Amino acid sequence: MKNILLRITGFLCLFLISSPQLFAKSMKETRSFNYYFQQDTTKRDTTKKVPVAKPADSVKVPVNPLGGASPVPSAPPKDGPATAPANAAGQKTITGVVLDEKKIGLPGVGIKIQGKTGGSVTQENGRFSITVTAPTDVLVFSYIGYQSRSVPAGNGAAPLTINLVPSASQKLDEVVVVGYGTLKAKEVTSAIATVDTSQFRQSGSRNPLDLLQGKVAGLQITRTGGSNPNSGVGIQLRGVTSVTGSQSPLIVIDGIPGGNLDLLQQDDIASFSVLKDGSGAAIYGTRANAGVILVTTKKGKAGPARFDYSGYLRKEYLYQRPDFLTVDEFREKIRSGQFDRQDYGASLDPFDDLVNHGNLSQNHNLSMSGGSEKTSYRASINYRDLQGFAKNNRRTEYGIRLNLNSKGLDDKLFTQVNLSTNFNKGDLLGGGGWENQLTRNPTQSYYNPDGSWFFDPNATNEIARLEQETNKRQQQTSSIDAKAEYEIFKGFKASVFGAVQRNSYVDGSYRSVFGEYSLENDIYKNGGYAARSTVLEQNFNVEPTLQYATTFGEDHSLTAIGGYSYRYEVNEGFNAGNLGFLNDQFQENNLNAGNQLAAGKAFLGSFKNDNTLIAFFGRVNYTFKNRYYLQAILRREGSSRFGANNKWANFPAVSAGWTVTEEKFMENVKWVNNLKVRLGYGETGNSGISNYASLVTLGTGGVYLYPDGQYRETYGPNSNPNPDLRWEKKQEINLGLDFTLFSSRLSGSLDLFKRVTKDLLDSYDSPQPPFVRSSIYTNVGSISAKGIELALSYKAVDGKDFKYNIDLAASTTSNKLDSYSNSEYRRDYLSTAPIGGFGDLGNSIRIYEGGKIGDFWGKRFAGFTGDGKWLFFNRNGQPIRNDQINNSFFRDQTDLAVIGNAIPKYYLSLTNSFNYKQFDLRLFLRGKFDYQILNTTALSYGNKVSGTNLLNSAFDKYAQINDTYMYSDYYIENGSFLKIDEVTFGYTFKLKSKNIRNLRAYITGQNLATFTKYTGNDPDFVKDTGLGQPADDGVLGVDGRGPYPSTSSFLLGVTFGF
Amino acid sequence: MAWPTKGRHGEDGGKWKRLHYHTWTVDEGGINSAWSLMYWGVGLCNVPIENLEKRDAAQLGITQQEKDAFLAELKLFRAYHYLKLMDLFGNIPVVTVVGEPARPSTLSRTEVFNFIEKEIKDNIDKAPKLSKAMLGRMSQAGGYAMLVELYLNAQAWTGTARWDDCIAAADKLITNQAGGMNGNMALDPNITDQFKPDNDLSKETIFSVAYEFQRANFQPGFPSDFYHFNQQFIYGGSRNGNDGIVVIPDNFTKYKDADLRKRTWLLEGKMTRFDNGQPLIATGGNEYDGKQLEFVDNIRKNKTGSTVSNMSEGEENSGVRFNKYKLGNQVANATTQPSTVYNNTDWNIYRLTWIYFAKAEALMRKNGGTATAEAVQLINDCKVRAFATADWPANQYTVASLTLDELLVERGREFIFEGFRRDDLIRFGKFATGSWWDHQPTNANRQLYPIPQQQIALNSNLKQNPGY
Repeated sequence: MKNILLRITGFLCLFLISSPQLFAKSMKETRSFNYYFQQDTTKRDTTKKVPVAKPADSVKVPVNPLGGASPVPSAPPKDGPATAPANAAGQKTITGVVLDEKKIGLPGVGIKIQGKTGGSVTQENGRFSITVTAPTDVLVFSYIGYQSRSVPAGNGAAPLTINLVPSASQKLDEVVVVGYGTLKAKEVTSAIATVDTSQFRQSGSRNPLDLLQGKVAGLQITRTGGSNPNSGVGIQLRGVTSVTGSQSPLIVIDGIPGGNLDLLQQDDIASFSVLKDGSGAAIYGTRANAGVILVTTKKGKAGPARFDYSGYLRKEYLYQRPDFLTVDEFREKIRSGQFDRQDYGASLDPFDDLVNHGNLSQNHNLSMSGGSEKTSYRASINYRDLQGFAKNNRRTEYGIRLNLNSKGLDDKLFTQVNLSTNFNKGDLLGGGGWENQLTRNPTQSYYNPDGSWFFDPNATNEIARLEQETNKRQQQTSSIDAKAEYEIFKGFKASVFGAVQRNSYVDGSYRSVFGEYSLENDIYKNGGYAARSTVLEQNFNVEPTLQYATTFGEDHSLTAIGGYSYRYEVNEGFNAGNLGFLNDQFQENNLNAGNQLAAGKAFLGSFKNDNTLIAFFGRVNYTFKNRYYLQAILRREGSSRFGANNKWANFPAVSAGWTVTEEKFMENVKWVNNLKVRLGYGETGNSGISNYASLVTLGTGGVYLYPDGQYRETYGPNSNPNPDLRWEKKQEINLGLDFTLFSSRLSGSLDLFKRVTKDLLDSYDSPQPPFVRSSIYTNVGSISAKGIELALSYKAVDGKDFKYNIDLAASTTSNKLDSYSNSEYRRDYLSTAPIGGFGDLGNSIRIYEGGKIGDFWGKRFAGFTGDGKWLFFNRNGQPIRNDQINNSFFRDQTDLAVIGNAIPKYYLSLTNSFNYKQFDLRLFLRGKFDYQILNTTALSYGNKVSGTNLLNSAFDKYAQINDTYMYSDYYIENGSFLKIDEVTFGYTFKLKSKNIRNLRAYITGQNLATFTKYTGNDPDFVKDTGLGQPADDGVLGVDGRGPYPSTSSFLLGVTFGF
Repeated sequence: MAWPTKGRHGEDGGKWKRLHYHTWTVDEGGINSAWSLMYWGVGLCNVPIENLEKRDAAQLGITQQEKDAFLAELKLFRAYHYLKLMDLFGNIPVVTVVGEPARPSTLSRTEVFNFIEKEIKDNIDKAPKLSKAMLGRMSQAGGYAMLVELYLNAQAWTGTARWDDCIAAADKLITNQAGGMNGNMALDPNITDQFKPDNDLSKETIFSVAYEFQRANFQPGFPSDFYHFNQQFIYGGSRNGNDGIVVIPDNFTKYKDADLRKRTWLLEGKMTRFDNGQPLIATGGNEYDGKQLEFVDNIRKNKTGSTVSNMSEGEENSGVRFNKYKLGNQVANATTQPSTVYNNTDWNIYRLTWIYFAKAEALMRKNGGTATAEAVQLINDCKVRAFATADWPANQYTVASLTLDELLVERGREFIFEGFRRDDLIRFGKFATGSWWDHQPTNANRQLYPIPQQQIALNSNLKQNPGY
């Protein structure tokens, strides 16, 4: 394993560090590939291109990577004419062959003599002959879709071999979604990554963003919930940009900002566009600090009715579980006297008792599309049943998506309607409890001797809980959007876009009369508990825009868009619960049947809050000579969330691009097919804070006794007001390079960025006195990040039957807390990432001003005393006992130090795609490197001070500890890992049937192997995003003690169209 | 009391050890929390005082007298917060208007003392007398209790003794001139009425936090700090704790066996279940998992036979436990029905017994440290409740036996868990010089807590206390 790991990492590192060597090396390797995988001519449509060479021929010589003249073949083609003699004075007939990028003869290539009349075209096999008057004549070869080449005719002594390379322009003309419109790829001047269906992950997404994991350099998608179907993903682009504001990119689905991901099914998504830098994202103003992900769904196309089905079945198996003592080992340890525990006689595998071994998930999507040039449609229906690896952990959903496009009024009017809805049902009861089960005494039955459930007030009987409680969600999410666009005169269009999105759910939970809660609760013993809650979230958008596109002169083209945006968002909810149900008949369906309504311990709550966002925005794109591009954006936006004095702000951006390869001086640099430099600057904001954060809000303070003996509610202010509260502002500069090299075999982009977020929104201590409350929500401090992102795509082999593509996404970011103070408010450090567990170990991360985000701050382990007590180093490097450690807040006194960093320095993923005839194989590797994780499982359960079941390592690796839990670098481990994340093997059938257009079946394995030195749980599940605030999805750098198990899944899928 | 590390529990970043060893730091979170909490209280008084003062009584629908009474009550309550802040931090800023000044300066402890004294004296007569309707609220009785505290500690706090003022203020309460919670203010006849779930019926309550779970869902906060993980089975309720604060070794034995307080207020030995009298088996994966829970009067790892006793070496059952305030029982047993007032227990801030002790001490100090007959009578009036009639003669104090040192020990027995020990030790000059269990003498500057570094960072007009 280690060897493989070394080799793979070595390969990856090579990729990263040494581009010139890399290219040369790869070219050498491909030479042999080309040799062995020559084309099979018999299956080729011979009217277009015919291979000219056989394996033994000299044509196998590859393109000279340095762009010089191609080596001349040593032997002439057997069936070609020999070197032509001169048939007139000065006149020579030059012969040769034109080859395409696959070394196949190109027919129909036009040949001109520069500055002279006369010409020729190549024949079927790419051969040509042309008569020139002087060896200095320059022959110009041109062919649509290929870059022209000019070659001196020479004296005709040997046939010429002309290699034409495809012009990159085809790809460059592809449309990129940029927000409020599209641009051609060549016009893009900001850092935008596009991922389309062909690149999506194929292991069956639980969340649509799963499709993107590892596909975009700089975009981190972390699944701390593993394969739990009810868990979300953590997303972060280019590092942390905020302390308390929104950390996740803005999701825009078909133009609806803040689009609900539940509405997206993987088979309905056409592409993702990730606006990475401020110069592109500024068009989304206040919500763009963390980046923007634009999702485009599939649309109807003109043509006969098409039906497409895709579906899969998936099953999950355990990949890895924490190494706790099995019941046999537990007994053995008791017997041998190593472990002073009770043997209660039962033999359980408590972990396994939570596992849903029968799990089988499935997804089915059927879409219909078609229409005429004037009207087209696409509709899809989706059914998905995700069964978790845990019991009572499931999500079932049905959805529909509809798209309708019409043109009218001489094609000047274009309308589009999208409708989407999703109904889902979630079983939220299970999925947790792993830590309880792993640590419980495996000899203790779940039952008492009399057959009743065994309950312990200090631990939940997880098995009983699954039987005696329910917790379900029923949800419906819908969106409707419509757009009408009218071309008032050529190039000038006016359009209106409107969207409504609505998300609602009803939760219900019940705990049986006989359950543990019933016995242990404080309010009413031996009675059932029931609760219900509902939430309704709605948002409304209206966006009228005007668009103008024109060209003037030969060299200038201009497009401009201006618009207004109004968005209103309102959330409301209601919850109620009761206790003391005397039987389980009604569950949560008749809350009145409990007995605490009259007794006063039933509960009831409701809420409503809203916000409005209004913006004016514009974007101008100017192109000069098809090689200089300029883009300017301005958005002026106001949000109700901010203070009265700072509701509005401007977000400008400007960026430029230069296609270097369009310049004259690049004409002869043959190995560069396309090269573009981009430079952009943009300002964006963050308004992802709670509604009303700038206002004094009234809260309740609990009931209080009045003189008449009655208890009544009290009210008071529960926040300090801040009329100056404003946006967090991010300024970002991005330098990018897009390139296509070596006959378009290698393409990619490199981006360098530097960003600073100022006026960080956070709750700061307010001086007390004179203020009433200890904190105020305000803008102080700044966070910065700089980084490099590299995306490469390399066609290692591009034969007719065999293709091998390598795609690489890599990024590195340095993220710092520059300051956390201003003249009024001061903090020296940010303390975060609570360790949790017993013994209240406090926070694991402390970032002093100027320090790196994710810095672990703690004691440095120095060994153990003879009797197993901890020793740590003081600041002078002397080992001392724990109680002598100086943990002062002052850095010149403290013994604590930075002991690691929780944020991977390098993210890398590599997709290897192989195609052989109808077979396809894709191997996806993903890794995070150079960072640390706090192994809390070892900290808590690798120490015999705990009387629970323990890790095996408590008796070997950690056997000498005879002291309480301590946080120090002893448990900070290298988290680097490389994962064989996904392997897909597919077969595309060739069917003669007229009815079936295409059919592909595939099998995908996910999470097949992880190579790491980390000894805790799956390092991939440890949160690597955010600052470390505790959240539902974990804490930065702190491994969970009982995370959702790491599973490998196997998926069998099929897609066919008819 | 202390919160030692017990096995895997209670290390808590070493904060309990620093508290116990008096090695706390200037940025100790708990110290800042205390500051922040009390000044929050000050702010919550300042807001309505400002509000009420600028409004006309008639507008509010109350009489001028009622308005004055509300204001007086609020000012007394504000003075209470300043009293506690001055006790902990000594030199502090005094602010009576929200937001002004923006960065208030430190006043000396004597200036703060004078402010508090004046506020109380100016307002006490306008405030309502104590009555059942004033449960949980500040009253004239509370005001006099504050004066007693202020004067009893005046010498320690300002250098000027105020024993006569202390006696005069105490007499207002002892002679029932400031009202009573349940009829005339008087000592309760036993050692349980003050601490039972319906202790709002106690006759000696002066000022309390009026918890009321049954009607107001407002429950006492102490279980989390004092209770064992399985405590609910001991008293037949539902609330457990973090197995935190315990009595440090050798205090349990300071109570004689005949002293009813020993077994009524403390838990020691093998524990049994309330509901069926069976042994209480510990659960939860700690040292004594699966065995009968037994609290011991030592803090060491008995399980491994260790004799090392310090703050780091506790285990699950270390230390005698708190059982002074009772929550009542939720479940029935053979002799007792479930309590209808379960979990309603109020927390006394001042009770009359404490006033008796304060007056007795003032009399003794005025008398050169020797007891007077009146002082002995005051203490005996309290102590007699803790003994059976037959045991009393052997345990009552005389002028000879009630020395100041003995008074300090008796205060420890009577007021254990009630939050006065730090002041007592400072007043008796033992806080910085004394040793107890594994605690060694520290520096005199530790008699004040540091002004939290977190606050100094925000307000440069604050001055750090000496020695920090």
